[in-house]
Amino acid sequence: MSPSSLDELIDALRCLPGVGPKSAQRMAYHLLQRDQRGAQRLAAALDHALRVIRHCARCNTFTEDEICARCLSQKRDASTLCVVEMPADLNMLEQTHAYHGMYYVLMGRISPLDGIGPKELHLDKLLARATDGSVGEVILATNFTNEGEATAHYLGEMLRARGLKVSRIARGLPVGGEIEHTDAGTIAQALVERRTL
Amino acid sequence: MSGKQRIDDEPAFVLHSHAFKETSLLVEVLSRNHGRVALVARGARRPRAALRGLLIAFQPLDLGWFGQAEVRTLAKAEWQGGQPLLGGQALLCGYYVNELLLKLLPRDDPHPALFDAYQAALRGLSLGPPYQIVLRRFEMALLKELGYGLTLDLDADTGSAIIPGLNYAYIIERGPVRRDDGADQGIAIPGRVLLNMAANDWNHPETLSHGKVLMRSLIQHYLGNQTLQSRRVFVDLQDV
Repeated sequence: MSPSSLDELIDALRCLPGVGPKSAQRMAYHLLQRDQRGAQRLAAALDHALRVIRHCARCNTFTEDEICARCLSQKRDASTLCVVEMPADLNMLEQTHAYHGMYYVLMGRISPLDGIGPKELHLDKLLARATDGSVGEVILATNFTNEGEATAHYLGEMLRARGLKVSRIARGLPVGGEIEHTDAGTIAQALVERRTL
Repeated sequence: MSGKQRIDDEPAFVLHSHAFKETSLLVEVLSRNHGRVALVARGARRPRAALRGLLIAFQPLDLGWFGQAEVRTLAKAEWQGGQPLLGGQALLCGYYVNELLLKLLPRDDPHPALFDAYQAALRGLSLGPPYQIVLRRFEMALLKELGYGLTLDLDADTGSAIIPGLNYAYIIERGPVRRDDGADQGIAIPGRVLLNMAANDWNHPETLSHGKVLMRSLIQHYLGNQTLQSRRVFVDLQDV
């Protein structure tokens, strides 16, 4: 391998989040010197994934089919649609075994300072999904960050204007959480959003 | 380490943050006595980091940092509270205010009065609509602190006081001039509106509508060829 193709590899590895020039160099040396089979597997897997993986036509998550298995399942409740930011959030909600409806994955969040708005997030796709006639309630499960809140606010306005019932997941103390050991911001918000018993 | 390199208990707000390296966060903050500062929060993106959930925008914090390079290292952050989380339209106005500071205020340029104006703006936004007055007051304070202070009560040509019943044209970097002498350049504003703006009195709807046009032109002028991302996103959001 000529040094220029080595440089090319190091440069390519830097596209990964959190990988700087030093880490990229370390990875490249490792793949070429210590683990050539691993490198071949990585190259093949990446190439294959890029060719077959696309976004589900209904929930927007990664899938190899036109519509993912979860969206095709007959056992799920088609009348509720839960909107999450990323596939990792969807996996977390699935782990709760408390939700049996459908999902929509935004693949991001509205972030005005980064120039990410409704066009960049392709919110028209969510709108089409939510108004396809099967959905009665949309649950907004975006993060409780400022960006997640901004996203929830706009999705809420947009979907309510189309006559859909919209709800937002609750926030407050974690299960098993002790007030003494909880951060002040969470407690302050839990007080603001307290409910009558 | 000398006292100059180490800052403790400094009132500050996070303006924006980016992921940095594997587990860190690069945070732009507005501090009261040191202006806008860039800080690295080491390990702030680890799942159980104490800083997670603390370094969020629009919340009053007490920060400590050290270092001499342009980007300092965050040593300590304490939640101060008392500022409700912004939601909906108020949150979007907050993003606009933050973007103005990020694009117009240079780093390490202390402006305690601007910090106070920022804090007042956040408080105003948390009280609910209308938000326009809050934004106009903050924009005026920002331009004043940056040294672009506006002369609204004196005719830029003659130096005489603005007369409420006359029409003026505001010419950027010059000031208000009589409309009939100043041809048709500049932004048309009636004298009484100029005087209300000079007194920071935004209660009249016509002051607000002229103020919006004037501030938008001035801010675009000082931004040069930079575009406000937050404004573009709001415009897109109006269409959905």
